[in-house]
Order: sequence, then C-alpha cells, then structure tokens
Amino acid sequence: MSELKKKTENGSVDGAEDATSNEQKAGGDSGVGMGVLFFIAAFAVCFLSGWLLFPSLLYSKKEQPFNFNHALHVEQTSGCESCHYFREDGSFAGVPKNSSCMECHESQLGDTKDEEIFMTEYVEKGIEVPWYIYSKQPDCVFFSHSAHVVGAKMDCVTCHGHIGESESLKPYQENRITGYSRDIWGESIWGIKKNPWDRMKMDDCAQCHQEETGSKGACFQCHK
Amino acid sequence: MKIDRRSFLGLGLGAAAGVAASPVTWKLTDDISIWTQNWPWTPVPVDGEVTFEDTICTLCPGSCGISVKKVDGRAIKIEGKKGYPINDGGVCLHGISGLQYLYDPSRVRFPMVKKGDNWQQLSWDEAIALFAGKIKELRDKGAADSLACVVGTDKGTVAGLYRRFLTAVGSQNFYTVDNMEKSWQILISKMHGIKASAAFDLANSDYILSFGSGFIDGWGSPVNNFLANSSRKERQAKLVQVDYRLSNTAVGADVWLPAKPGTESYLALGICSAMISSNLYNAEFAKSAGKNFEAFANFVKEKYAPELVSRTTGIDAAKIKEVAADFAKAKSPLAIAGRGKGESAGSVMEFAAVHALNCLTGNINRAGGFWTVEEQELLAWPSIEMDDAAIKSYAKPPVGAVALATSQESGSAGIFSAVVAAASGGAQASTQSILSSSVSKLFEVINSSEKSPVELLMVYNANPCFTLHNAKAVKDAINKIPFVVSFSPYMDDTAQLADLILPSHTSLEMVQDVCSGGCVAQNIIALSKPVAGPIFDTKNPGDAIISIAKALEGGISSSFPWETFDECIEGVNGDNFATLSEEGYIASELAPPANPLIVDFSLFSNFKGATPLDGDEKSYGLTLVPVETIRLASATLASSPFAIKTVEDTVLLQKDTLVEMNPETAKQVGVSQGDYAIITTPVGEAKVKVNLFDGIMPGVIAMPEGLGHSNGAKGEVITKDGSAMPSIGGATSIITVTGGVSKKVAPLENRYIGGKGVNVNELIGSVTDPVSGLDAAWGIRARISRA
Amino acid sequence: MTQDNHGKHYKFGMVIDLDKCTGCGSCMVACMSENNVPFKEDETNKKDSINWMKVFKLTNGKPFPNTDVCYMPRPCMQCGGKGEHGHSPCISVCPATATDYGYDTGIVSQIYTRCFGCRYCMGACPYHARYFNWWDPKWPDGMESYLSPNVSPRMRGVVEKCSFCYHRYQIARDKAYYEERRDTIEEGEYQTACTQACPAGAITFGDLNNPEHEVYKLVKPDPHQCGKPRNPKAFRLLERLQTNPKVYYISEREWVRKAGDNYRDGEWEKKA
Repeated sequence: MSELKKKTENGSVDGAEDATSNEQKAGGDSGVGMGVLFFIAAFAVCFLSGWLLFPSLLYSKKEQPFNFNHALHVEQTSGCESCHYFREDGSFAGVPKNSSCMECHESQLGDTKDEEIFMTEYVEKGIEVPWYIYSKQPDCVFFSHSAHVVGAKMDCVTCHGHIGESESLKPYQENRITGYSRDIWGESIWGIKKNPWDRMKMDDCAQCHQEETGSKGACFQCHK
Repeated sequence: MKIDRRSFLGLGLGAAAGVAASPVTWKLTDDISIWTQNWPWTPVPVDGEVTFEDTICTLCPGSCGISVKKVDGRAIKIEGKKGYPINDGGVCLHGISGLQYLYDPSRVRFPMVKKGDNWQQLSWDEAIALFAGKIKELRDKGAADSLACVVGTDKGTVAGLYRRFLTAVGSQNFYTVDNMEKSWQILISKMHGIKASAAFDLANSDYILSFGSGFIDGWGSPVNNFLANSSRKERQAKLVQVDYRLSNTAVGADVWLPAKPGTESYLALGICSAMISSNLYNAEFAKSAGKNFEAFANFVKEKYAPELVSRTTGIDAAKIKEVAADFAKAKSPLAIAGRGKGESAGSVMEFAAVHALNCLTGNINRAGGFWTVEEQELLAWPSIEMDDAAIKSYAKPPVGAVALATSQESGSAGIFSAVVAAASGGAQASTQSILSSSVSKLFEVINSSEKSPVELLMVYNANPCFTLHNAKAVKDAINKIPFVVSFSPYMDDTAQLADLILPSHTSLEMVQDVCSGGCVAQNIIALSKPVAGPIFDTKNPGDAIISIAKALEGGISSSFPWETFDECIEGVNGDNFATLSEEGYIASELAPPANPLIVDFSLFSNFKGATPLDGDEKSYGLTLVPVETIRLASATLASSPFAIKTVEDTVLLQKDTLVEMNPETAKQVGVSQGDYAIITTPVGEAKVKVNLFDGIMPGVIAMPEGLGHSNGAKGEVITKDGSAMPSIGGATSIITVTGGVSKKVAPLENRYIGGKGVNVNELIGSVTDPVSGLDAAWGIRARISRA
Repeated sequence: MTQDNHGKHYKFGMVIDLDKCTGCGSCMVACMSENNVPFKEDETNKKDSINWMKVFKLTNGKPFPNTDVCYMPRPCMQCGGKGEHGHSPCISVCPATATDYGYDTGIVSQIYTRCFGCRYCMGACPYHARYFNWWDPKWPDGMESYLSPNVSPRMRGVVEKCSFCYHRYQIARDKAYYEERRDTIEEGEYQTACTQACPAGAITFGDLNNPEHEVYKLVKPDPHQCGKPRNPKAFRLLERLQTNPKVYYISEREWVRKAGDNYRDGEWEKKA
C-alpha cells in the first residue's frame, strides 16, 4: 500500500492502480477469470448476432407477386433479349411490361398456377406486375446497357449472374435503412464477392472500369 | 460469484470487440450514409419508354405547335414542335409551363354551386339541370335577352357553340374580350371597305416601324415574332420602336424613338407628312387605290409637318424626316400598331394614323407587307331553329350596345355595321341599327342600372374581373348579376364570384380547333388534341353546352343535333376534319383579295388624335401606363409557378408590385429606390414600391400587368358524400373531413401567383373609343406620394 | 471486352448571341422543366431562388434616352481552369469530390447524393452559378407527376447547378452505342434544353473541338490561349480570372462586351 500511496502521491494514473490491483488479485481471486469470461461471452454474443442476427434484422424479405421460371422462358424464346430488349432509341426496356408478355401469352399457354395468377390478377385487370427488381440502382445512377452490352460486348451473366438458368425467383431482400436490394451490397453481409455479379456498388463499377479502360471515369459517366 | 467492476469491463470490451469483429458497424455506417442521401420523401420519377405527342398550345392566340414528351404515357415536358409553320421548334415560357396548368392547385375538381359562403359539390347532371332550369325560368318570363355570355375569342367550334346557344335561347348578349385584332378589323372595314383581319408579314419585311407594339414582348403571335426578329437581325432589316419606355422591343430595335405617351398617332402622321412633302410615297398606288387622298395629303402637310409634330412628340424634326426617308426607301416597309402585347383594343384612330404609312408605301398584300386576310367561313354550322320566344327576345339590342358617332360616310358605315353585328353576336344579321357593343360597356351599364339588366351571365375562357379596366367595378357588376356561371377550369378571379362552376378541361385535356391568331401572316387551322388526363371530373365546355341545350325544350335542343362534342367538331369541320386529325393542321397561302384594294382616307376628316387619358393634369401630374411583358401572363390565364419565378425582383418583391419611374420623376415626387409609395388615379389607389429605371421617360410611371390575382375562393368546399377532396397524388387532400363536418384547409388556392402584387387594371378606367366603341384606354393620369 | 471508355475527346460549349436574346425567359423555364428544378411560394428573394439558367439584366447606366439594356443568360460556365486541366474554381475546393471535371466532355458534374452541403463551391464560383437547397423541394399535390426520370430530384442540404443537360448526352450516347457508333455523337443529337427552347435562336451549343460545329465557327476558340475567342465580337465572362469558361457571348455592342470583365482605367481602350 505504501508503494501505491507513493505512486499516487507522485501523480500516478488510474491505469497504474489497475495494474497493481490486478497483480495483487491474480493469485487467489477469480476476478480476472470472471472478466475474461464476461469478455468472451459478450464477444461471442455480439459477434454471432452481428453475423447471424443482424443481417436478418437488416433485410426484410419480400416474396415476388408470383413465381417466374427464367429457364423455361429462355428455352422457349431466343434468349434474354427477347424479353429484356433495347428500344429503338438505345434505352433498355428492363423488366418487360404486360404488353410484351402478351405477345405470347394472349391466352394462358401452360397450366401453372403462376401463369394463372398472371392472367387473372394482372392481364385481365390491366395492372402491371409489381415485380421487385433485384438489380435496382438508386435514382442518382444512370446505367447504359447499350454501352456495356453493345459497346463493350459484355454478356448479361457478367453482372446479373445465372438468373437465366433459374427456375424460381428467390425472395427479394430489401435493406430496411437504405431501401436498396440486397444484391447491390452483396449476398455476403461482409460484402465479400466471389463473382462479378455478387455486388453492384459504385466501387465495383469503378474497379471494372479501372481494369478495362484504365480509368474509373468521371462522376457524370454514371450519375444523373 | 461476484460481478464486479472488472466483469463489467470485460462485458463492455467483449461486446465492443464482438461488434467490431462483426460487420454491424461498417455496414450500418455505410447504410446510414446512404440513407441520408435518399430521403424517403424525395420523389423518384419512374422511368420508361419515351414518346412524343404533338398538339397545339392554346394558352394564347399564338397557337404554337408543341410536342409533349411522355414517359410510359406520363406527360413530363412540353417542347416546341420542330417544323411547325408558326414556331418551328421555339416555344415561350408559358407554353413550356403547360403541365403546371394541368396540375394547378386552384383547379376546380367537379361542378360546384355556391351555398351561402361555401361551395357544394354537384354531379354533372344536377349542375346541368340547375343551369337549364335557370334558362327556362328566364324564357318563361320572357326575359331570355337577359342572358349574357362572355368568351375569350369567337374563333373555333367551342366558341361557336356558345354563340349558337345564346342565339337559340334568344339573346344578342354575346361578348368577346377586346383586343387589337378587333380594332384592326374595324379599321380595315373603314379604310378598305372589306371584312378582313390584319396580318403582318414581319418575317419578310426589311423595315419595321412599331408604334408601341411589343413586337418581342409577347405581341401578336409571340414565338413567331421572336423568330422574325432573329431573322431580321440576320437579314439586317431595321426595327424602329416608338416607345416612352425602353421595352425589350426598344432594346432590340435599331432606333428607339421615345415619343411622349399618347402622341404616337401624331408622330405617325408627321412621318406621313414628311413622306408626302418630299414626294417619297407610292404616288401610283395612292392614285389608283386612294379615295380622298388629296384631302388627307393637305391635312397632314398642313397640320402635321415634322416641325409641328416635333413639339408635341418630343422627337426631332430631323429624326422624323430621316425615319420617313428610310421607311420610304425600304423595299418592304411595315408599320405596326397595338400597344404592348395587343391585349387591349387601343384607339382606332391611332391605328389609322399608323396604317396610313402602310397605305403611303402601298406595301399591302404582298411579301413583307401588310395583309388583309378575308375571313373564310371554315365551319359549316346547321341552321339554328329559333322558336317564337327566342325570335322575340333576340330582337332586343344587347346591353353593352354603344351608340357611335355617325359622321362617317354611309357606304363604309354600312359595311362597318355588318362587321360589328357579326362580331358582336348575331349568327343572323341584326336588323337593329346597332353599331357596336363591348364587354366593358356591358359591365358599365350593369353598374349604372338599379337592377342588373343581365340576370344570368356565362363566362368561358375569359377572366373579366381581372383583365378588364376598372376591374373593381367589374367585380361589383358581377356581384350584382343574380346568377353567374363560370366554365373556368381554375378558381380564377371571376370564378370566385360565380354562383355555379361547370369546370372545363384544361387545354392539354381537350380537343378543340384553333385558328392562327395574333395577326400572323399565315393561314393555319389546327387541331389541339388531349395529351393528358382528364385528371378531374371536368368536361370539354363544348360537351357541357350540348348537354345544357339537350336539357332545354324545343328550338334550343334541336339546334344542337349532336350527341357529343367530338361528333360536333367533326361535323362542322367537314372535309377538313380528317386532315386535321391526321396532320394536326392545315396551312394555306395567304391570298390577296379578288378585287383591287381601295384605300379610303376620309376617316381622317375628323381626326382628333388619340383617345385622351382619364383624369385632369392638375391633380394628376403623372401618366400611369401598364407594362405587358412576356414573362408575366396578363390575359385570361394567370402566370404559372415557373413563369413567376422568372420575374425580376425589380417587378415583384415578396407581395409588393414595384412601379418603374425615372430617377428624375422620383426626385420630383420625393421617393427613392425601394420606398413604399401610394399611387392614386381617378379610379383607385394602391400601395406599391418604387423601382428607379433610367430607361423610362420622366413623368411616366409604369406598372407591370399580370399581378394582383385574388387569392383563392372564400368559404369551404363541401363534397357530396362528405368525403375528402379528390386529389391526384392521393396523399394530401385539400379538404379534410372529420365526422361529416368539412374543415377548410386551403380552398383551391394558387399561392404561387394569388395575392401577389397589385392589378394595374384596378387603377385604370375604361375609355370608349368613338370609332369602334371598344375600350381604348392605354393608361391613366396618376399621382404618387411616399407612403 | 476491353474498350476505351473515354472515346472521343469532346469539349462541349455554348455561344449566346446577346443581340438576339430578347430576355423572354424561355431558357430559364425550359431548364427548370427539363431538370426538375423546384419552386417555392415566394421566389422573389433571388439569393435563394434556384435558377440553373438565369437571365441577368444589364444596363449601360446612361440617363434617358440614352439608356440601353442587355439581357445575359447565365448557365454554368463549365470552367476548364487554367490550361484546361480541370481545376475549375468549384472543383478545386470541394472536400467531398461531389463535383468533378469530365475530361471527355469538359462538363463539370455535380453529384447530389455525394454533396454534403458545405457550400465552398458556391463561394468559389465567380459566376454565382451554384445554388443551395435550403429546403426540401415541395410540389403542389399531384404535380410530382410531371417530374422527369432523367434527372434525379434533389434533397435539402445539397448544392445544384447547370449540367449542360448532361442526361441528354447520356441518352444520345446510349443511342450511339446501340447503333454501334460507339460514342460518336452528331451535333444535333445532343443539345441542351435551353438551346432547343430559345425562340430567338440566340443560343448555340456544340463541340468546341470540332471545327465543323456551329459553336466553333461562331467564336473560333484559340487553342493556344485556352480557347479564348478569336472572333472580336465574342467574349467570355471574367476572362482575366483564367477560369476558362465554355460559355461564350457575342455582341456587337461595345459596352456589353466591356461589361463582361472588370477593366482598369484605360485598359479597355488599349485592348480595343
């Protein structure tokens, strides 16, 4: 104690006091053990909920209005472009409107429940299908499909993955804070990507532009 | 086990480390930063396929071709139509703002009747039945002639239906709003003895002499004139502007002649005098076409020699002679009149003095000249079946009849009376010897009568409570009329005082045929098509009139043999309709009249100069003039939020109008820049702010026209089922209803223009032109003092 | 897959004939309508009134009747900075990289979602071409329906300015790529909204690097002097600051040309 007193008198800091007490208690008491235990427990809880619970809280899951079988449609038509086409002015039509669908689906073609929903709930009522769009970018982004697909001769898979081979639509996950689709940040909550289509953030665009064109490009290249 | 400080520390550190090692912090930081960039309340316009739909802008007589840009069928922008003969891709600020008129917050959303201080929603059937009942009442008591109607223009099928309705009911009280086109028509009938409209081939003239016309301030067909002005600069054609104020036209002119206000006609005659004295006129034309030319020549030489005129106008005699020489020397000189935008009638004698210049050069009915465009009967109407009651009441003269001086020669007077009789209402020629009738006179008579001679007034495409001179008195007159029906799509100054509103579609929502107006030297008829909506429970006014007629008995009903307006417009346009609906317009070359034109100068035998201003010079030492500028809509429609945003803070500051005066004038009256001042005229007074401008003549005060719209309707709107007001966005509604009691929030207000500034028309009284009977006021005497 | 993202090197610029300009305000409204520019109930406080394109009224200061007026439309000058290196006044001061220089177009960008509202750029801009959103934009009920999807609406707390209708370039380039012309754009394919609307035809827009383009022919920019006009009737605003603007003005009137910069006594006469 006298040593301690001396230190305190000499203007020692709290840390020094802690260190001394730790030293003192380390032998007989379980104080440190409890501290470590609490540390480990808290770490584990927070770490695990950060990785497991947090993503499920952050994203809301929304089911698409009805299922859509991409594989079947690709088989029946001549590929992505038959529905996801370019307009004459070079703009990209994106998700087709009912009128495009009805070029084939004038009346029900198959006998799936999904097609029936489409026909009765949307075509007959004259309502466009409110699809959730996995690759939807925020309003400030201008993306030129023609520059990438026609100009740079890229294929759809590079950015959109193998959606054309899917038979069902996965639930749409929306970030509760930003309102963005989970596919923009990436399926992995850490944002790690294995494939180019795993993430679609600005850095991902810039990375590819840097590699392919030697420049990230100016802001207005992709912003509006 | 003891939980001590250390455990807590461990817990905290563990939690921190755990969170740090998980993506929570980094992801949340990123997400929150993204959230701050994308506030959920910032609108995100939906993308889609872009299409363009062409139609005609009907906001002013200019009738430009416009292209409406749409995204997935949603109209997002208005652009000029490339290649259209009037505007070739150009478009004015009001035309571009067309979509703001569509979504105007003051739009009337369904038929409404005034109940005490409030408005009660009606169904269209109820509203039409109510109106038809009122007409029937009038006819039953033999007072069909006390039905009156004011419309903006008498061109087109919709206006034709209104006129037809009045005739079928049995009233001659059909009025159109006065403008310079009417005065030119009257002048042409007097000087040339034909029934024709005036047109100016400004795009091909190499010398334009403008007497106060705001050639590039919105006069005539504004965009057409902007194009003509730019081509003028390229062709190095001259523009001389006579103006007491450095208007935008004076700015753009090669020569600015600041003649004293009211002396423009003297200056014109002075130039005539110089031309005749120096033998610089087209003697051949004067000889072959001129009637009483010698008398005119002697008259101007004697009384309006440049030296004499110089004294009254303040323009150097040498300058007058120089202009006369240049004007005469030019290949296709053109003199134009009609002050400002030409939205008021002006003085016919002033027009005559200006037109004498055109007659001296003989540059008439040829490229780059003045054109007389004979009115073609474009619309084929079936005959009107007037029953006995209608014939009887139709024989009564209109309320707004003006007895004119009958000093003119009988020949031209005969033609004249035919013209005005046609213009003033009768589809069947009137047998009465009425020379003229005017809408200003109508309201004057109502005000001076003990009981209003008009019992039912219909107003369509006009806003007399705002645009007519002595606007306050017009409001009084409207209040005196027992039942007023407005067909306005907006709760405008006149609709606010109406008893029943049968709201029309806005111009972007309805089909209508339009003729190129604004004295443009082109013959164009066009079809304006619906490109949006209708977004509310409104009707094409043509359909409304047909439905009303159908609800009435016998003659009236059978005079309207169409089921819908679509059927009517197709029928009356005959063979043209197919072309109109396919091509959008029909353009034809101007053709000179079949018979050689005569020029009768006898009109000048009793020339007394321009119409004098109201007020005595002693108590009102200054002259107040309205300024019509392109940036402020000053006719039936109020300015859009976009347009009002372009207005400088030297014109409107917060809610105050600024009047323009020369620093010299300000010094005399003891005011300086930004001061509040009271301006007083014989008809009213207003509190304004002062803006000093070197470009205005000392002694003249200029006040912008188009401000001072009253702000929204008084009272509440009570919906039919007690529900909230329908709104387009669906989010907020104008009326909130709680427990069947409607609560007023903001009843059909347009706060972007309403309640801002002073209406200059409330300070200027009307003056009847002795020749035309129209309102010829162009200013008034005034005084100003610091507030 | 490798491709050149920058493609051709454009330098888009604008020439405004001040003698043709009638001050009608169509350019201002065309711009507001094209670019989703908001409006408030009271727009008479011009300091907070957002006008990407603003028409100024100049007077020669002489008394009646020798007064003259000139209307001067002022978009963003898209300054290239000294030596066209992209060091324009605003870009140099932006701490957020919310505004940058497009070396392929010569257009100065403004990214609203990146801007955090410090307003340094507004202080730096010698042309007052930048505006701050003091409030969230608010449209009357239903009027949002006319908003264009080509330009993102702004939120409160960010700066905005004229972009030379950059989205129109994006759209034109989209078409060019689609038609396999890469990003080769014809003169008429990319025009700003104000140019298109001007009923007097006073505004000309095009590539200042292309001698075929009307803008080049009108001002004949001098490549050795950072694009200084060789046409003696043409001038740029505040030329001496060497901001190297891409907006040129033309006027036959000497006082107007002189008003384009601040001159010391006798300096103008020497220049002329």
